Amino acid sequence: MAATSLQNYTLVITGAPYSSQAPQTALLFARAAIAAGHTVDRVFLYGDGVHLASALCAPPSDETHWASEWAGFLKNNAIPGVACIASALRRGLVNEAERKRYELPASNLLEPFIIAGLGEWVEATVASSRVLYFHAGD
Amino acid sequence: MIDQSPYGTWVGREALDMAFSLAAFDQAVSILFTDTGVNWLRAFQQPNDIAQKSVAKNLSAAPIFGVEALYADAAACRRYGLTLDNMIEGVVMCESSSELLHQFAHAAFAG
Repeated sequence: MAATSLQNYTLVITGAPYSSQAPQTALLFARAAIAAGHTVDRVFLYGDGVHLASALCAPPSDETHWASEWAGFLKNNAIPGVACIASALRRGLVNEAERKRYELPASNLLEPFIIAGLGEWVEATVASSRVLYFHAGD
Repeated sequence: MIDQSPYGTWVGREALDMAFSLAAFDQAVSILFTDTGVNWLRAFQQPNDIAQKSVAKNLSAAPIFGVEALYADAAACRRYGLTLDNMIEGVVMCESSSELLHQFAHAAFAG
């Protein structure tokens, strides 16, 4: 078997948890990549994928809590998790700064996710050796 | 790449945002419309009755943002009765999407 070169990945998730498999598939890929010695530079949530960063998901106790699973993985591996601000604001995902700016009744961004612009994704397309997309597939 | 028709989902609009962001950060970017996505390029869209803005109007900003080209998959256009005469201005017909994609380092969908 030829030696595989190590890659640094950006993962883009556009499918929401509980309506698509995308966050789960992405997490399994990320774990496998790191186990094989690759690097995950960052995870970018776009479109419906931003729902993964909600602190208010409360699935039944016998189902996997994908937001918690992802948050734990990002913390343990010191990987930045970024939700696109335009996608997030449209879908009711806000941090404290946006709550104040738009005078909303609450904020709900789960740590360690942050909210930032598409420039983060643009930078990823330049800086990472691979950018992988995890779509809802419908 | 936009492969879904306008108005039914938000995916195409978010793909457009991706293209405009790449252009804003000085990355070379073009948009390819395939499958039902070619309906984005239909002239004289009237989405007022469904309280949406015309995607063709959004697209007209592409050259201003620095998007290099709007490509339309020719086979998809034939399927939907689209010709350069009933499409918005500035579209380039593309007979082979796969050959076109070889000219690009990245291809991305919004969903």
